[in-house]
Parts: sequence; structure tokens; C-alpha cells
Amino acid sequence: MKKIERKDFLKLGGGAVLGGLSGWVFSGAPFLGFQWLAEWTQDQYVPVKGFEKYVQAVSDSCPAGCKVSVRMIGERAVKIESKDGVCPACHNALQLTYHPERISTPLKRKGDKGDGKFVPVTWEEAIKEISSKMNSLITEGKANSIAAINKNESLNGQLMEKFIKAAGSNNVYYEPSLKSLTSSALGGYINYDFANTDYVLSFGAKLVEGWGSSADMQKVFTQWKSKGTKIVQADTVCSMTASLASEWVPVKPGTEAVLAFGIANYLITGKRLNSTGEEFGKWSQLIINKFPLAKVASYTGVSEERIKQIGDEFSKAKNPVAVSGKGAHGVNASSAEIIAVYCLNTLVKSRAASLMTNSSVSYKGEFAGLDSFIKDGNFSMLFLNNSDPVYKSVLGEELKKKMEKAFVVSINPIMNDSANYADIILPSLSFLESETPENKTVVSNFKESKDAKDIIIALSKSIDKTKDAFSFTNGIDSFKVTGKETASGAKFSFNVDKIKNDIDALDKKFAANAEYPLFMIPVEAPLVGDGDGLAFPYVLKSIDPTVFYKGKLLVQINRETGKKYGLSENESIVIRSTRGKLDKVYVHLTDTVAPDTVAMPLGFGHESYTVYGSKKGVNPKKIMAADVDPLTGTADWWSTRVKIS
Amino acid sequence: MEEKKIEIKMKRKWGMAIDLDKCTGCGKCSVACNQENNMPIFEDDSDVPKRVAFLELMKVTNDKNAKFPDVKTAYLPKMCMQCEGNDSGKHKADPPCVSVCPAVATDVGDDGVVSQIWSRCIGCRYCQAACPYEARVFNWWKPEYEGSFKKSLNTDVSVASRGTIVKCTFCSHIWKRERDAATAKGILDINAVMYTPACAAICPTGAIVFGDLNDHESEVSKLTTSNRAMRLTNSIDDIKDPEKKKALLNKKQFANPKVYYLTSQSWLRDMMRFKKNS
Repeated sequence: MKKIERKDFLKLGGGAVLGGLSGWVFSGAPFLGFQWLAEWTQDQYVPVKGFEKYVQAVSDSCPAGCKVSVRMIGERAVKIESKDGVCPACHNALQLTYHPERISTPLKRKGDKGDGKFVPVTWEEAIKEISSKMNSLITEGKANSIAAINKNESLNGQLMEKFIKAAGSNNVYYEPSLKSLTSSALGGYINYDFANTDYVLSFGAKLVEGWGSSADMQKVFTQWKSKGTKIVQADTVCSMTASLASEWVPVKPGTEAVLAFGIANYLITGKRLNSTGEEFGKWSQLIINKFPLAKVASYTGVSEERIKQIGDEFSKAKNPVAVSGKGAHGVNASSAEIIAVYCLNTLVKSRAASLMTNSSVSYKGEFAGLDSFIKDGNFSMLFLNNSDPVYKSVLGEELKKKMEKAFVVSINPIMNDSANYADIILPSLSFLESETPENKTVVSNFKESKDAKDIIIALSKSIDKTKDAFSFTNGIDSFKVTGKETASGAKFSFNVDKIKNDIDALDKKFAANAEYPLFMIPVEAPLVGDGDGLAFPYVLKSIDPTVFYKGKLLVQINRETGKKYGLSENESIVIRSTRGKLDKVYVHLTDTVAPDTVAMPLGFGHESYTVYGSKKGVNPKKIMAADVDPLTGTADWWSTRVKIS
Repeated sequence: MEEKKIEIKMKRKWGMAIDLDKCTGCGKCSVACNQENNMPIFEDDSDVPKRVAFLELMKVTNDKNAKFPDVKTAYLPKMCMQCEGNDSGKHKADPPCVSVCPAVATDVGDDGVVSQIWSRCIGCRYCQAACPYEARVFNWWKPEYEGSFKKSLNTDVSVASRGTIVKCTFCSHIWKRERDAATAKGILDINAVMYTPACAAICPTGAIVFGDLNDHESEVSKLTTSNRAMRLTNSIDDIKDPEKKKALLNKKQFANPKVYYLTSQSWLRDMMRFKKNS
């Protein structure tokens, strides 16, 4: 071996140092170091200064029409304040308005549907493409294959309904809501006079957690507290409403309707009360024969004495009211349940619940409701007006398949799961950018986006048949023709023949099932609601670690049930129903949930709802029960038989 | 000409009362706080111990001690308790966090607000360790506001840099704002100006009440003396004997918070005192 000279040693050493140095430089470490140094020593971003002022605004995108006061710094909106109360969506409007993933121009699909690849086009090109497609469908006599799905019954929803009907189609649907469900079950939605009631009997309606008009309900709740109104809540989990109620009636999952049958049964047979609704005789025979108190008690887990006690208190109260519509932001109830609960109001002649209709909103297309349309309907053209049925409907997967064969137009300000399957996306506004007759816009339109009302009017003007559908050319004028709410003239009917089969099926639903021994029911986290909130970072900051923690979605299971299945806290489980399976869900053991129940948070598991809302947890709607109700045309997804492993 | 000397003596002692019997857990306070105080934005904020938020919407239940259906749920909006500290009259009042700060980045003013100066903080996190309420949060990452989210930033609250502690200051910048507006109108007495922090202003059920604890006629003072009122402290509050209480107060590092919770629910009272339900 050659002896290493001093010179060689120095050369080797120098080479090693040089190599190390160049490696260090090329690794990028020094540059990262400089970057960190700059970040740690230099001041952070300084918000742009400007004059402070407050601007008033009324929301035209939520049905409640929230009134807010916006704090402005120069041209920037920095804070939403409200004295009258504000719904979560309107409170988060800042983060919608300034969302980095706002759609800036009309987009046209490139590549396969669902790939999420779009290219910008001009408004003229987009409208032209839609109108040529729509005109040809109308001239071919296929007008009825044009359909629309609205998010809600706000003004742009009403305009969409008018536009599609003028084109000659009857297929206008709304995402299921309290109003749409009760309208199709009862012939009108219910106007509750909560201020003057002294006894509230709620069947799973999470009254203070987003149910109905969420801002108004907060006010109603304070009135109830100060007046000492009795609130009785039937619920399967210890929700906030159950916890704040005067009494909580714990019921087995999905048996709220059966409890209503039981109380009605007692009021009819025990108290000799009767209702004025059509077919009441038939209805009362049905529930008296099919639901004796002993059976109701075994189904619901509420004792016969308790049922009688509730019936007595309810009928003796001065102005009692029974409330249906399980859930908070995402409501669900079968028509049998809505009718059964409304029956209680008619039995005690409640003055606090009256049926209403809106002249511009029908809630009824060719099919009874959105889910029956997805299941049985066919369309070659579909308009999505800020709605996200692919995510929110339990039949979302079926809808995806049908959307792949149709021409789909989506009007929305940010991407969502349904818009991902659209051919054309038209960017709309947040309410801060749209003008109302009372108020100017708070901030100017984001890039090329336009008011949904203006978009719909422009679309109608571009199509031969609907040219004269609107007598105005500007969205601002449409406020004059907004639908009028009127007391429903229609007589309330029990519709026994249509729902008899569903009531008969209840026996099978609650019978012991060895394969699927558990029930999965939904719960909602504050602000997340049924999923709309998840795209906004300030909503993510409020999520409790018992719901979503370190990227893991937790389902709540009773301790005893957990013990029975050998589950431990934070353990990963798979939930299976007849419709499929959900994995990557984790267990949170808590006694706030009834035994043999899996309480599943709604609102997670979006596929494409901005970087903040996507790929977080799972969407339970994929495996939830999908039996479509004959009257409401909406799947009865509330309680689903599942097994876990 | 003789200069006119304006001597201002602070009269206010800001405090808060949160009625948990009225709180529905709607989360408006959390969103309002985030908007007002320029909370940083993350793609996934589900790592709660590292989450940067001044107001935590804590969900609490008694399910460890009760079985279904004898359980209850409540939401507890938890912010900085603005401790007054253990002031036995010998020295200035010192909350647990203030006495440990080596950089004078946090102090308690005579208006009762425990302040924090982000840019003065050296990030040693002593105060975070000392805080009994986990009210202080550390910026583990650079607070970022992706793209256009920057447009909704409030100019009254500075954006913190990475490696600093931030916390709720009862939105005292709103008080300064109101005072500036009053000064512009010629009102120089700072005690004449009132204000409401973002969380209390938005609360739809009026569960959060804010005001001056020194003013015995104020709503907040009346609420704090109600028999439903309690604080998130150890059992010192429950000791009836004044002598014994004073002795304990002198010995222990007593936080003495100025945020009061009101509840008639015994399980919640017990939980807040770390007592087990019997």
C-alpha cells in the first residue's frame, strides 16, 4: 500500500471539505437558512390601511335574508357584525368573498368529467354554448329533459324555477330542506309562532343548533328561557337542544315517528281528541290498531307512563306546539313522521303552527322530490344553482353517473363536488358583492364573476322560448316580483293510502337484525353543519377534537356498546351497511349516545370543495339508507342499519 | 402660559360573565374572534394543541361520571381569563404569566387587561407553561393568509411572526379605537368610553356579557355576584372563612381570573372545580 504523504493528506482533506461544501450548497440548506432568517427577523405582513366605515347589507343568497353590518377598511371588508343575528353561512361570507379558490371566469370542461380539469372561456362563449344546446333540445321537443337543482328558495332559486318552467320543463328541484319536506308532506310549510307558545314538543329537531332559520331560533331560545317555556326534546344523542331542554326524552335511533304515533294514539283513545284533517278516521284506525302503547314503548324505549305523561302535559298546555324535522342544518324526516307530528298539533288545535305556501316556489317537479328525480328521472341538461347534490344526496353516486351522460351547467362561486362533473361552470357572487334595492354592494365583484340572478336572466334572454320569461333585464329589478308567502288554502290531509306501506315497513325496520345490529345516525358539529362550512378556515378552527382530530374523523359510540364490540378509544373501525362501507373512521367512546348507535358527524368527506374542505374524513351519505319517501321524494336516510368491524 | 396637566385615573376593570345556561354552542363567538384578531389560516387545523385561536369552543360532557341517558352536554367558550393575580397589597398584581416573562412582553394594566405584545415576545414559552388555562398559543408556523384571504385582515391587530406567543386581549384594541374616536370628538376622559369585544358583540343569545367590574351597577358586576356565578379556579373560591381564604391567597400563586361562568347545572359546576360527580 502506498504511503500517504502529507501533501496527499491535505489534498484528500481539502477535497472532502470542498465536496461537503458544494453538497451543502446544492442541497439548498443555506438558502433555506437565509429564508428562515428573513422570516424570523423581519416583520410579517402588514394589512393595508384605509378609512374605516360600516356598510349595511342584506343577504340575498340565504332564505332568511340575514341583515349584517360590515366593517370596512378602505375597500376591504374585514368584519361581519350583526345585531339581528346572522346564519353561519352569512357570518362566514368574508372567507367566501376572499377565498383564494374563487372561480374567476366561466369555465369549460377539459378532459373527463370528475377530473377537475377546466379551461377559462368568455361569458359570450359560455352562454352561446348553453343556449345552442338548450334551443336544440326545445326544438326537438325534449324540453322536459332540462332540469334544475336549486340550493334553496332564495330569489335566484325562484328565478331559476321560473326560467326552467318557461322553457317547458317541470323538473325544478330544491335541496331537501325543512320547507321542501313539510310542503310535500302537508301541502304547505309550517309557520311556527314560537314566541307565543308555552310548550314545545320537538321530535329530534335540533332547535338551537341550526334547525329552521338558525339566527331566529337563537332569539326564540332566549325568549323561551326568559318566559319559562317548557321544551321537551325527543332525541337519540345528548345534543345541545336535548341538554338545554326542560326535559329530554331519550328515544332509540330513528323512532321519533313511532313516538309521535304513540302520543297521538293516547290523545285519540285516552283523551278523545280528534283532528279536522281529511282521512283522519282512516289514519286514527291505522295507528290505533298498529301502534298500541306497549309496542310504541318497546320500539322507542320510552315507557307507557312517560308517553301518557307527555300526552297529558301536551294537551293541557295553553298553546302547545309539536315540531318535526330531525336534524339541524341537514334535516330529514319521512312524510309519515311529518304528518304524525302535525297530527298532534291538529289534535290539540295548536294556534302556533299554520301552513303556508310561496307563490314562486313549488317544491314539486315531475317527480316528488330531488332523490326520486335522481333515482327515476332522466335528463339531458341539468342546471345546478349553487347546489351540491352529489355531496348532499345519499344518491350522489347515481347522480354522478347520470351527470356524465348529460350537459351540466353549474352556477357557484367556489368549486364543489357536483360542479366537478359540470360541462360549464359560471362563477357567481357572495352576498357581499351583490346589490339589493336597499343596499349597494359592499365590495366589488370578484374578477369576471356575476350575480346569479343576472346570469339566469341572461340565460333566459339567450333562448328563443324563454326570451319573455322575465319582464326585466337586471337582477336588481327581480326583487319586485319576489314570491309572496300566503296561508295555504289547501286542506291538510293524512294521505293514508300513499304512506301506508312505509308505516307497515317500520316493523321490519325495527325488528332485530343479526347481520346489521347497530343504527347509524347523523350528528352535526357547530358551524360545519351539513358540510357547507368546511371550505372556510375559520370553521376548521372551531371543530372540537372529539369530532375531528389530527386529520381523523371520530364517530361516537356508547361505552357499553364499545365494550360489547371490544372497541377502544381512537381505534380505527370499518362501518358497513347494505349500500357499502366506510373506512378510516375512528372511535370516540361516550355515553352521550344511546346504546347500539353509531353517531356519525355530517359535513366531512368532500371530494372537491377547495383545499380546506376536501379529503377530510368520510361522507356517510354514501352508505346511508336510500329508501325514497313516496310523498317527499327524499330518501329517508336518518337511521341506517350498520355493522362495525 | 401654564401648561394644563391632565391627570387620568383608570376607573375601569374589564371583566366578563358567560352564562352557560344560555349558550347554545353556535360558534359565532369563535368566528367573530378569528375575524377580529387576524387568526392565521391553515389547511388542516385539527391538531388542537397547536391550533392558533384565542377563543376555544370547548365541548364538555359529564359522560365520565354518568351513564346514558343521565348525561348532559355544554359548550364552554374559553378565552384568556385575564387573571388579576394574587395581590396581597404588598406589590403590584401579578397574573401567573406576567411574573415569568423575561422580555416584558406581557403585563397587566390598571384596566385589568393582561396585554401581550407579539413583536416583543422572544418565544421562550414560559408564560404558556405558567398559564393555568392554556389560554396562550404559540405560533409554531409562520401565520399565513393565502392569497386573497389577506384582504380580510384587520388593521388594528398586528400580524404575529413565527415563534411568538399570542393570546386574547379582551379585544382591547377596540377600546383604543373607541377612545380615538372619542378623542376626535373632544372627549378626553378615557373612562367615559365603553366597548364590547367581538365575541360578546356577536353572541346571539346574550350569553356573553362584558363590562366594568368596578361599576357595581353594570350588568356584568351584577351577574358575577349571582349565586350561579363561578370561576375556573381551584377550591379557594369556595372557602367561606375569610381569614383562612386570605392566608391561602397569600401563600399560593392564585390566578384570580376576571372571567366568570354562570350555570345552574351542578355537574358543570363540579367539572369546572375538577370535582367528581357524586
